Amino acid sequence: MQIPVSEIHEIIDREADDEGSIISALEKVQQHYRYLPKEALILASQRLGVPLSQAYAVATFYNAFSLKPKGKYCLQICMGTACHVRGSPQLLDQMETKFNIKAGETTPDHLFTLETVNCLGACALGPIVVVNDEYSGQMTVQKSDALMKRLIRKEGLD
Amino acid sequence: MSEELVRLKIDDIDVRVPKGTKVVDAAKQAGIDIPVFCHHPKIESVGMCRMCLVEIGTPKRDRSTGEKLLDEGGQPQIEFWPKLETSCTTPVSEGMVVKVSSEKAIEGRKQILEFLLTSHPLDCPICDKGGECSLQDLVMEHGSGESRFLLEDKKHQDKHVQLGDLIVLDRERCIQCARCIRFQKEVAGDPVLAFAERGRNIEIVTFSDPGFNSYFSGNTTDICPVGALTTVDFRFGARSWEMDATASICTHCPVGCNLMLNTRREARANGRQVIKRVMPRQNEQVNEIWICDKGRFAHHFATSEERLTKPLVRIDGKLIETSWKKALEHAAEGLKAAGEGVVGLASGRVSNEDLFNFHTLLKSVGGRAILSDSQAGGELVQQVGVGKGTDLGALGAGDAILVIASDLHEEAPIWWQRVMGAAKRGATLVVANARKTRLDDYAGHVVRYRYQEAARTGLGLLQAITGAKDLSKFASDEPLKSAAKALTEAENLVIFCGVEGLTYAESKSLSDVCAAILVETKNVGRAQNGLIAVWPKNNTQGAWDMGLRPAEGDLEKAFADAKAVYIMAVDPVGDDPSLAESLEGDRFLVVQELFMTPTAELADVVLPAQSFVEREGTFTSGERRVQRFYPAVKALGETKADWRIITSLAASLGIELEDSSAAAVFLQIAEETEAYAEINYQSLAEFEEQWPPVGEEDLYYGGTTFKNRQGLGVQVAPAAEQDQSLKIQWSAPPEFKGKKGYLLVPVVELYNRGATVMPSENLHPRLASPVLWMSLKDAKSIGVIQGAQVELLLDGRTEELQAIAEEGIPEGVVLLGRGLGVPIAEPQYVEVRLKA
Repeated sequence: MQIPVSEIHEIIDREADDEGSIISALEKVQQHYRYLPKEALILASQRLGVPLSQAYAVATFYNAFSLKPKGKYCLQICMGTACHVRGSPQLLDQMETKFNIKAGETTPDHLFTLETVNCLGACALGPIVVVNDEYSGQMTVQKSDALMKRLIRKEGLD
Repeated sequence: MSEELVRLKIDDIDVRVPKGTKVVDAAKQAGIDIPVFCHHPKIESVGMCRMCLVEIGTPKRDRSTGEKLLDEGGQPQIEFWPKLETSCTTPVSEGMVVKVSSEKAIEGRKQILEFLLTSHPLDCPICDKGGECSLQDLVMEHGSGESRFLLEDKKHQDKHVQLGDLIVLDRERCIQCARCIRFQKEVAGDPVLAFAERGRNIEIVTFSDPGFNSYFSGNTTDICPVGALTTVDFRFGARSWEMDATASICTHCPVGCNLMLNTRREARANGRQVIKRVMPRQNEQVNEIWICDKGRFAHHFATSEERLTKPLVRIDGKLIETSWKKALEHAAEGLKAAGEGVVGLASGRVSNEDLFNFHTLLKSVGGRAILSDSQAGGELVQQVGVGKGTDLGALGAGDAILVIASDLHEEAPIWWQRVMGAAKRGATLVVANARKTRLDDYAGHVVRYRYQEAARTGLGLLQAITGAKDLSKFASDEPLKSAAKALTEAENLVIFCGVEGLTYAESKSLSDVCAAILVETKNVGRAQNGLIAVWPKNNTQGAWDMGLRPAEGDLEKAFADAKAVYIMAVDPVGDDPSLAESLEGDRFLVVQELFMTPTAELADVVLPAQSFVEREGTFTSGERRVQRFYPAVKALGETKADWRIITSLAASLGIELEDSSAAAVFLQIAEETEAYAEINYQSLAEFEEQWPPVGEEDLYYGGTTFKNRQGLGVQVAPAAEQDQSLKIQWSAPPEFKGKKGYLLVPVVELYNRGATVMPSENLHPRLASPVLWMSLKDAKSIGVIQGAQVELLLDGRTEELQAIAEEGIPEGVVLLGRGLGVPIAEPQYVEVRLKA
């Protein structure tokens, strides 16, 4: 993926304040590109006066940042205890089969990324699936199938 | 001490320490050991490893009145905090009670160790750190002896990660204390290491290109509390307990870092002692507990197989091995025949004893002893050098440092590190140079001048400071004025005066100006004030003190006028091939050297000398600290110490010089040199306790740096300490003569390709390349594309080089590293053109 440097500059500049703003600057970059391009880390470290080593440390520490391009739709399946006993492993298995990827991977067309999370703090609603910050609770295999179909149809892939 | 003291009780011992001290350091000062991994007395605490857990209590207070509550015995009631606390992050407070050896604290630390060992490979039998490992020692002392952790669940990680060309990382052994990361950021000013990932996946990564290329990288292996970081030089080389340790002084630059040479007898060296590693030795006034990588890794020249081992004489045009007796006789004959026409040339690489004897011999025959290092100012350092007791590590707010015409990072890395540290502590740093250097980032005032205008810039500063009318033609505006104001306002002022881009005459003028600034601002004759010359060699100041003087830029004439030339520890022909002509012919040439240099190849007699690891002697550092070094290995072949060769040669000439020992030669030095009058080998070997404690049983605290029990050396007082009425006459620099072409300026690169670096093969991937640096604009006008080959026309010869254009290089100037295979003595005008 080719990304114009000037565009990254613009995003970082909007957040640039001092070295403390590295996280918010990287967040904006992450939101915009759904990952942190290498150029963005280098530019942010130069612009904010943070050593590149530290920028990388921040980028790898937080789960919210990704160094690999993520899909347009990020599907997160909760594997916390409550969701687990209510059947989230089956949901994961179903999605892995459907998209033909493993948890943590992205489909080659960069549309879908599958992730597991350990608890979303809404155990009463389990099992939970989150698609790009949109929560769906009390999921079943049928409901998740419908969810996936809806996304696929939206992308005109069916 | 004016600092506010705080009283507390640690394990029933009353302790008084300055406010702000951390509990762990307070305990150390009271002789109580709290085990640590991540805490290091020279680095900010972070409390990462949790090894230093202790119970801490503070006096109970009445909530309404704030009064301390007392128990029945009238003692304050102590309220212990609910959980164990990290003593490395907790500052002391009045009345605090600390329990280090309570059951709860001991149990806490035991559990931390059990945790740390869950992902440690325990491969101590093959680990380089074995025997001097903090983890090993602390597990022996505080560990439980067995683990409840399942072996199969151990996390396995990469074991041979080449972090850089010099440092290897074992990720399994790492206990994530971040000492190396914090050292690079805080102490080395080069934050190229970081943690990646988090939790159990956390790992050390490097972010420089090439990897971990800091000039201070070796120090991370000293402070690494486990065997995670090792050097390529020592890796799998020896066990720590097998080695002998000999105190020494680094010979690579004028800082004079204190070293310890670890040696071992080896079968593959026919039972001879071999240097296994070079370690720093603590001297808080000189190098603290650090050394640069050049000092650590570039020691192989001293024991190289390429060394000269036997005397040689020229018979029928060829150099033939011979006996010392015959070689000395032959040399003496040649020198005798020359009468007063003997010229001696020596560099500041050898010891004071060597240089003293050299000077005495030359004086006795009526000859002239020349110092090869082409930088002026030695006599000024004798007058206004830094005062006795100067410690760059104590400079801070209210003080000022001026660095002019020098790239300290390349020329003297430890000075760079200490100057940077002073700037971080609040000292005003003024950096004046013709190009951008690494110190600029820490400078409060950056003064940029054109090459050849260094002295004029100095005079501009002097003008702004004194307002003298006769200097008005040098007057200048900002930023010189504000820099001058900062220098005037400072309580203490240290000036580092270099020689980058200067001819000898310009260097003379600049050092005069620097001395004049110090005198005018009354920053002379006391500690923390004065002039430091950034000499090209480790003992150049010693050479000045022993009476040698430079040829003032006219070595060729000195050689041409001589009937015989005696050269010691310098390779003038290698540095400037045009000198070969003036040394050839029927001029008698004696060369005393370690290696078969281009100069030695022209000699009539070659005398093999010993390197600094084979003999004893003293060096005088740039801060004029006289320091002793000791013999670590047996001498190679038939080599002799320089001073002893000179004594023997003198005897053949009928001149009597001291021949019993180096110590006896030094006694003569003390007799004849006023500044050295109070010094002898005993006083140089004196030492006292230094903070922080290092290198003892408690290696975990300060690392494997060696404790200094062999002598801290003696700093020589400048004349200004006795005579306050000193006046320095500034001299106008030589007029700028416009010439055609580009000004070729030789600059210093730390890892050059000189005879003292090349034998260390470990450093080869890091050696500087012979490239021609130029400004972007000049590159464009010459038509250079980055990396293109260009031709350089100098002294009638043509050199082919790669050209690199970079920002920060002034126009009309091309830079080339010294000692990279293209000899350049002084800045000169050259023609540069694209290779056809």
